[in-house]
Amino acid sequence: MTEHNQALLEEAFHHGAEDGSAALAKWLGRPVTLSVGRLEMLPIASAASVLGSGDEPVCGCAMGISGAVGGLLLLAAEDVAALSLADTLLEQPQGSSTAWGELERSAVIETTNIVGCAYLNALCAILAPEHDVGILPSPPVFLRDFPAALMEAALMEQTHLGDTVLLANSEFRISGTSFRCRLVFVPDAAGLQAYAQRPADPEPRL
Amino acid sequence: MTTPAKPTTGEPIAIGQIGVAKGEGILRTFVGSCVALVLYSKRHRAVGVAHVMLPAAEGRAAAPGKYADTAVAETLRRLTDLVGDTDIACTAKLIGGATMFTFQSGTPIGDQNVLALQALLGDLGIEIVGRLCGGRHGRRVAVDAATGTVTVETAEHGSETL
Repeated sequence: MTEHNQALLEEAFHHGAEDGSAALAKWLGRPVTLSVGRLEMLPIASAASVLGSGDEPVCGCAMGISGAVGGLLLLAAEDVAALSLADTLLEQPQGSSTAWGELERSAVIETTNIVGCAYLNALCAILAPEHDVGILPSPPVFLRDFPAALMEAALMEQTHLGDTVLLANSEFRISGTSFRCRLVFVPDAAGLQAYAQRPADPEPRL
Repeated sequence: MTTPAKPTTGEPIAIGQIGVAKGEGILRTFVGSCVALVLYSKRHRAVGVAHVMLPAAEGRAAAPGKYADTAVAETLRRLTDLVGDTDIACTAKLIGGATMFTFQSGTPIGDQNVLALQALLGDLGIEIVGRLCGGRHGRRVAVDAATGTVTVETAEHGSETL
């Protein structure tokens, strides 16, 4: 990948994280801090522990991405934090949600939809402004599973390329609460290869 | 009576890696669409675990645990080195191969991994004595080196012992 393409990709994911953070703040009506937002090239084992290496399950919502930049977007949080988010969205006292019922799942799915689409729109505006189909997300899928198992499956599309994985990793914190969640985008192998080979933009948009 | 391995303790096997143990000890790993290949030699009370990610290495020599074809050969090699005997008479167990994300198209990589391992083990005459594969969820796997007992736990679908 050329330096120009690498820089453009980093900038796109940074903007994606910022717009995702802003969308989350608007959705919740509370300030949100973007504490991490970077593009990382990691050994597979390190990438597999991005959501944590603990034994406790986490909840996550995944969206499959196709179009100009294909891959997988995953929003994940510890159970306690995600249930707290559900309480906030359902306008009920903190601690009311103790298990993953339909309402709680819907709250997390909708949050992923809003944050994910803001994130992807920012990516699309920078990486594929003239692309016919842009970037198309699938409906979010709710999962509750071990963090290593979730990440391992998310990385699968890129593991054909080698022993390192490129991913975009962001962390959001809601001010005044203990809530934090992680948004991870893993570009797929085909999209990454196509992007790496594309010619440098003669008129950078940034 | 055998006490199942505690899934939360033991030597972790990272993604795409291989671990072996003899006599005592627990090997543990997490799998989603990957497959935990467990080879156990009752005669030597020794076990090998490979965390397999893809069906075929296609000439790639690095990270033999990552690919089904190289993982089987390399796990057998490490087991024979460990016990000092080329006749280890082992059996196999397979865990994992889930399809975690419903929106992914094509033949799921988890299924491809399981099929590849079944074919390879069949060619070598290694009997598969236990399997817990497929589904849409991850699994936490702990293998007792002394007994070959495999404890499989899930986040929301209970646990089983193989």
